[in-house]
Amino acid sequence: MKKANRGGSRLLIGLMFLFLYLPIILLIIFSFNAGDSSAVWRGFSLHWYNQLFQNRLIMESLYMTLLVSLLATVISTAAGTFAAIGLYSLSRRKRDALLVVNDIPMMNADIVTGVSLCLFFVAFFQGWGSFARWFNGIQSAVELPTRLTLGFGTLLLAHIAFNIPYVILNVAPRLRQMDKNLVDAAQDLGCTWMQAFWRVILPEIKPGIVSGALIAFTMSVDDFVISYFTAGSSTSTLAMTIYGMTKRRITPEINAVSTLLFLTVLLLLVIVNVREARMEHREASREPRKPSLIERLAARTSGPGWRWVKWGAGAVMACFFVAAVMFLRGATSSRPVVNVCSWGEYIDTDLITQFEEETGIRVNYQTVESNETLYSLLKSGGADYDVVVPSDYMIARLIEEDMLEELDYGNIPNFSLIDERFRHLSYDPENRYTVPYTWGTLGIIYNTNMVEEEITSWSALYDDRYAGNVLLINNSRDALGAALLYLGCSVNTTDETEIREAFALIEDANRRGVFQGKVMDEVFQKMEGGNAAIATYYAGDYLSMVGNQADGVDLAFVIPEEGSNWFVDAMCVLKGAPHKLEAETWINFIASTEANLANMDYIGYASPNRVALEEYPAYYEALYEEELDQETYEIMAAPADVLERCEVYENLPQETQQLYSQLWVELGIG
Amino acid sequence: MSKKLISLADCCMAFNGELVLDHINLYINDSEFLTLLGPSGCGKTTTLRIIGGFLTPTSGEVLFDGVRINDIPPNLRQVNTVFQRYALFPHLNVFENVAFGLRIPKTEMEGGRKKKVKIPEEEIRQRVLEMLEVVSLKGFENRRITELSGGQQQRVAIARALVNRPKVLLLDEPLGALDLRLRKDMQSELKRIQQQLGITFIYVTHDQEEALAMSDTIVVMDQGRIQQIGTPEDIYNEPKNAFVADFIGESNILDGVMHEDYVVEFFNRKFRCLDKGFAPMEPVDVVIRPEDVDIVPTDKGQLNGTVTSVTFKGVHYDTIVDFKGFKWLIQTTDYHPEGETIGIILNPDDIHIMRKSEYSGMFGDYSSYSEEYDELEDVSLLEEGEDGDEE
Repeated sequence: MKKANRGGSRLLIGLMFLFLYLPIILLIIFSFNAGDSSAVWRGFSLHWYNQLFQNRLIMESLYMTLLVSLLATVISTAAGTFAAIGLYSLSRRKRDALLVVNDIPMMNADIVTGVSLCLFFVAFFQGWGSFARWFNGIQSAVELPTRLTLGFGTLLLAHIAFNIPYVILNVAPRLRQMDKNLVDAAQDLGCTWMQAFWRVILPEIKPGIVSGALIAFTMSVDDFVISYFTAGSSTSTLAMTIYGMTKRRITPEINAVSTLLFLTVLLLLVIVNVREARMEHREASREPRKPSLIERLAARTSGPGWRWVKWGAGAVMACFFVAAVMFLRGATSSRPVVNVCSWGEYIDTDLITQFEEETGIRVNYQTVESNETLYSLLKSGGADYDVVVPSDYMIARLIEEDMLEELDYGNIPNFSLIDERFRHLSYDPENRYTVPYTWGTLGIIYNTNMVEEEITSWSALYDDRYAGNVLLINNSRDALGAALLYLGCSVNTTDETEIREAFALIEDANRRGVFQGKVMDEVFQKMEGGNAAIATYYAGDYLSMVGNQADGVDLAFVIPEEGSNWFVDAMCVLKGAPHKLEAETWINFIASTEANLANMDYIGYASPNRVALEEYPAYYEALYEEELDQETYEIMAAPADVLERCEVYENLPQETQQLYSQLWVELGIG
Repeated sequence: MSKKLISLADCCMAFNGELVLDHINLYINDSEFLTLLGPSGCGKTTTLRIIGGFLTPTSGEVLFDGVRINDIPPNLRQVNTVFQRYALFPHLNVFENVAFGLRIPKTEMEGGRKKKVKIPEEEIRQRVLEMLEVVSLKGFENRRITELSGGQQQRVAIARALVNRPKVLLLDEPLGALDLRLRKDMQSELKRIQQQLGITFIYVTHDQEEALAMSDTIVVMDQGRIQQIGTPEDIYNEPKNAFVADFIGESNILDGVMHEDYVVEFFNRKFRCLDKGFAPMEPVDVVIRPEDVDIVPTDKGQLNGTVTSVTFKGVHYDTIVDFKGFKWLIQTTDYHPEGETIGIILNPDDIHIMRKSEYSGMFGDYSSYSEEYDELEDVSLLEEGEDGDEE
């Protein structure tokens, strides 16, 4: 009986660890996948790691992460160490109270820390702005900058702020263990306090300082939430870049970078834990009531033989710092710059390098994950972009709210290459604000091996025959749009009865168990792996699914006969953008035929450039030495007759938007 | 032994409004071995820390060679300290611990300009090795501190302090953490070092035996006040009040009345004594050391009592005898079993008379005999004031 119990608990522990680590193991495995699916294994390859190191966005944010983490670690370690020493000179009651206060930020939710820091910085900047204007008004000798924005400085300050408690937490126990008379003894022997600090306190608490610094560094590298709120628009850490990449789908590149991040943090934690274990071991082995233990490591590395090792390590660190600072200077030098904000995986990054080489303008390329996030970033005033690439309905909203700058099309001669079909669209009827970036269609993706007939209507989404095999898109506009189309209504209707009718259709199908679930990114794995039969998704993404489909899966794409949505993402310049001319230069460059061809090939979404659209099959053939089949091309770039059936989303009035979100909440699918 | 090296003039010390030192007046002669003796919390460590420069007295003056040093920090005083639990630097080996003070660059004024002076490495080496030899630790230079026994650590601490050639060495309960045998050895060792180097030692302890064995002068302290200053013999033979009598050695302390010079009455009997100068019929405290009492058969005794307990102590028996409800401690080499009635005789020089003090009636009755001060072996840290909250 007892034995059985032990077996049971072992099994339980095994399952627990499996549960904890299986996802990470999977992620690591798939980072070596030759294909770009997260569901289908196509053999071992380092392709994604290679890709990773060539991805300029990731590498830039990696430098940024390392720079911020290192600087924050150094500064917070120094500050935290002195703070801990200060705490220990207070009376016990005050010290204990302060240590509790010190613990709170660590237990506090990151999101609270992040938001509060963001609020604090913004409030400070406003105060500073008023002060600087007043100061500049009363004298002319010194010109203070009046407009400060979130960026590297605030990110660094935030990291320092949340790291200090961890350093204090690690240094404090070493101080508590230290014989208080040691400092007295050092002073008695002729040291000033500072000399005593360097010669006695520091060697004594060094292990605590080192583990504090390691943990601070880990926390910094690891942090997403606080960075997200304090980095502003022009700076982004690795975690933020990864998050930005998820708008479209989790590419194996993310697997690779996550693997590296995971291994780095794991390595640091292992170092910290091994150190602690060693220290405890040493503690346990020392004789009771003896003054203090010797620091074997410190003692062993204090000999002359180790000196050059330490100097060497110091020199390497110094070199890294100089390099990092030079990198940063390069990033912030007076070279002309343009701040671009787009979606993750939404540009062939070679184009950025090419643009910089041609024009000498530096591109600060940032990403966010959705139109709504972009909107709230812009609204909060924390963002500092010149060019944004929102979707149609969001452009309408931005124009309505007077947040866009009219473009000087004289600076954008390539606008003439944009096909007539993509000009003067409903969101910008006079075409004063926008230059289209890509366009595409929404349709039904289905596995022909799992359905009985060719699908031509939205009705398939609500069909009992496919019960349990339909994936509902987790986006109220697209899901309700499909239902509205099926009912013969416009996707832009504001008639509450029609919308409720469309919702009733979905709700009924849901009650009948037609839907497997509400999905966004998971749609890739489900469809590629043959785990679902039917899904609503975008044409460009269908193409990447086809490339990854598992054996026995045969995917097809259709724009139903009732019509569908088609969308345009277009480049706009924000009101008051500091680099308007550079922004227009960038837009012109991206609108060029070459850039459109490269992007169309990289992203899989269609180009609005007339010439590029025509030339793409030839471009494809030249590049891959095989013919682009007509069907694929037509799915990528819907022909005119199909496009005629489709509607662009318009910005819905406030009450309709509220109705949408309210209904979407009511629909309770997991 | 005549020059006043350090003087404390009217020193008071208060922690958080609590008076820890109450008007201390004290001087220490050159080359003297002076002991501050008292129970925990008596202010002896505080006094030492004031001399060392770790505390500044709330009021009063500290003079060194006649110069006021109240505000001189410890690193600039010609005084070094051996700390309670040695406070050796665990990250340094024996040699480096001893060399620590020599390696600190000293700032010296030269022609109106500050100049950092470093002692040459060769001299450091020579002085450290010399000092290790003085404390009998030759050959231990490269040992780590944790590899040393308590006694060896003690010696390192002494060497570390002495290598700087201080005029005064302060020792704060230096033997407190050692076991009895080692403590005895170290006592004579310390005395030898002091005589060999001829410098002033100021020694803090709560162990009266240690104080008696080593000191030239003992300062007995209690409740922040000096109770008595004197040679070990003075302190033992002529205690000034009940506290000193009780703290130094064992004492039976009785209420008495001085009838006239050389005549004292207690237990309704008059005894001859060697003390004079009291007012007629002045109430006094009478001290009788347990080893001075002679036991005789009951018919020859000046007082008769019943043995209530006997404890064998090796050289003698601690015998508790009940005289009319007052219990005496008598140390005798003869065995008298519990219940036996015995007589005692007191000679004039067995009796010491003290004036009444605030301590009268607090000590000297062995009704609840226990080895009370043995329990205080473990030095309480009360004296360190608010620093002491760590242990």
